[in-house]
Amino acid sequence: MSGARQQILDRIRRAISGGSAAPYSDLPRNYVRHGNLDEAARLSLMVERLQEYDADVVECTPDDLPACIADRLQSSGKHTFVAPPGLPVEWLAAGFDWKLDHGLTHAEVEACDGVVTACFAGVADSGTIVLHHSASEGRRILTLLPDWHLCVVRTSQIVETLPEYFARCPKPPALATYISGPSATADIEMTRIKGVHGPRFLHVILVHDEGLAEVRNDN
Amino acid sequence: MTPVDLDPRTAPTFPQAALPILRNAQLRKNVAHATDVIQAKRARLVAEKTDWQQLRTAAAAIKDDVLGHLDQYLVEFEERCTATGGHVHWASDAAEARSIAVEILRKEGATEAIKIKTMTSTEIQLNPALEAAGIKAVETDLAELILQLGDDEPSHIVAPALHVNRSQVREIFARRMGLADLTDDPEALTAAARAYLRKKFLSVDAAICGANFLVAETGAVTIVESEGNGRMCLTLPRTLIALSGIEKVVPTFRDLEVMLQVLARSATGERMNPYTSLWTGVTPGDGPQNFHVVLLDNSRSSILARHTERQTLRCIRCAACQNTCPVYRQTGGHAYGSVYGGPIGAILTPQLMHMDHAQSLPFASSLCAACYEVCPVKINIPEVLIELRAQVVDRERKQAARAFDLMYIGMRVANSIFASAWRFRLAQRMGRLALRPFTHKDGWIHALPSLGSRWTMTRDLRRLPDQTFRDWWAARPKDKV
Repeated sequence: MSGARQQILDRIRRAISGGSAAPYSDLPRNYVRHGNLDEAARLSLMVERLQEYDADVVECTPDDLPACIADRLQSSGKHTFVAPPGLPVEWLAAGFDWKLDHGLTHAEVEACDGVVTACFAGVADSGTIVLHHSASEGRRILTLLPDWHLCVVRTSQIVETLPEYFARCPKPPALATYISGPSATADIEMTRIKGVHGPRFLHVILVHDEGLAEVRNDN
Repeated sequence: MTPVDLDPRTAPTFPQAALPILRNAQLRKNVAHATDVIQAKRARLVAEKTDWQQLRTAAAAIKDDVLGHLDQYLVEFEERCTATGGHVHWASDAAEARSIAVEILRKEGATEAIKIKTMTSTEIQLNPALEAAGIKAVETDLAELILQLGDDEPSHIVAPALHVNRSQVREIFARRMGLADLTDDPEALTAAARAYLRKKFLSVDAAICGANFLVAETGAVTIVESEGNGRMCLTLPRTLIALSGIEKVVPTFRDLEVMLQVLARSATGERMNPYTSLWTGVTPGDGPQNFHVVLLDNSRSSILARHTERQTLRCIRCAACQNTCPVYRQTGGHAYGSVYGGPIGAILTPQLMHMDHAQSLPFASSLCAACYEVCPVKINIPEVLIELRAQVVDRERKQAARAFDLMYIGMRVANSIFASAWRFRLAQRMGRLALRPFTHKDGWIHALPSLGSRWTMTRDLRRLPDQTFRDWWAARPKDKV
């Protein structure tokens, strides 16, 4: 098929020859890059957006986090949870059946009731949770097959606008998933139905760590 | 239901295909309801965005930059994708793309392939080619599943089954899934699809997807979706084939900060679609380990070569133009005889066919420009429509049969009349005389014979005034001015 490659590139080069385009660096980018909300307003916007998606949101301090996770797991009524290999051990609450993902099969992940993960960032404007699938966020199937997802978001990870998230990625991720509410469809008469294939239940714990030492500095 | 033909080479003309649809009250009601709902959501979310016009300008500029340097960006994408473990294939036309996909699946010994909604796959008629090769294509998007089980075809770029209502979905699912007790509650119908597809996701080893964006800088591919069927197809199978038009590339990862914002709002009226996936080549231990990208030209490079039409390739397939179009809202997508219906289809389809087919589509528009106004990448669709109309007419004019076509004779006569003042004045005088016998006492012409009846069939014509403006001007009292 290298014949096709050369043919296509030749056709493209003929088609665009003679065009003098402005350099990429001069492209107009006068859209809103930085939000103007203060910290409290930014967080409450994030909570509001998540709740619009029917996500369940609770807030806690870093010290209370393990207890808060245990409480969320308890009230889920579920028992078997899968965890990414890099999840802090103190998050693995006692009294539950934990499957640590060191290469679990699809069937083993599918058999779990829920999953607990960290995340890379949150975008308040759209209520988006960003996963870059690091060791604490897990492989992509962990947050896909189980029906129940508990995601821990630190307040220092929350930005207001989407461009602010991109500014936090000087090195683009190889893998990323942006979650804006649970799986949904509107394919039948535009009626929004929650939970088609992805997790039907999204729980978020907001950990107030603003002003504390940066746990992860990706900038 | 009459079989729907979305092959522009064989489909009936737009007026022929539209007529039976206009008599189908149920279909029109379904389309009107769906487009009303999406439009209202879009309008609300666009209004809250203070920088909407700046985002549109940036999105259009990014796509223009892509098109102006398309060779460089594609080569860059190929290099990065290959370096991260992906395989990149180039397909000049639909047949090449089909055989590349079939060959990859054959090598894997695949007998089934799960699919994420991809309009490009319908453009190249991939499913019939897979079936012929003994590979069963399983559509996993809810709307596409409805169409596949109902032997129907997509009628909208984003919500391809919007012409079908809940009781029709119930009937299809009950029959094809063997669920006699199924109700027409959308929740129950969705649950039925979830159960039906779950087994497929966990057992089928090959998947086919399209691509919303290819990132040249990193070699990443991006898919936006709502249901999670996309994530299933992108992570569970061993083999993944992404089929993408060559125009889908963007220069850098950061460009997605613009494209994702305009796409979700325009397509479904959401701030962000529920799931966006981005992956780069192959990641050991996570997702498909055998990953292929098929870059499809299929006439796109010839569109690129044309000055006015090039902007067609900015399209990010959001369907906002379909939802707002007064023509599409009456006929739905099937009348366009192509997987790309509505205003964007009216300009894209004939160009994909090198103007040899689908020549009626550029005329399927009132040129009201509502499509231009909502387009997130500022494609001036009316401008392209007019250019394509001119091309269609130029071609027709050259045909020998047109020498005797009344329409063309009329146009030639009109051309000569409008080219000279005295011929114009003479024609006015003759017209007044000729129309007098048909003018009713009430000052209106209700019926004309022959060609003129085409006008009076649907509206009355006011009688010609006794005095023309020129006559009045010449005869006016000169001392007043």
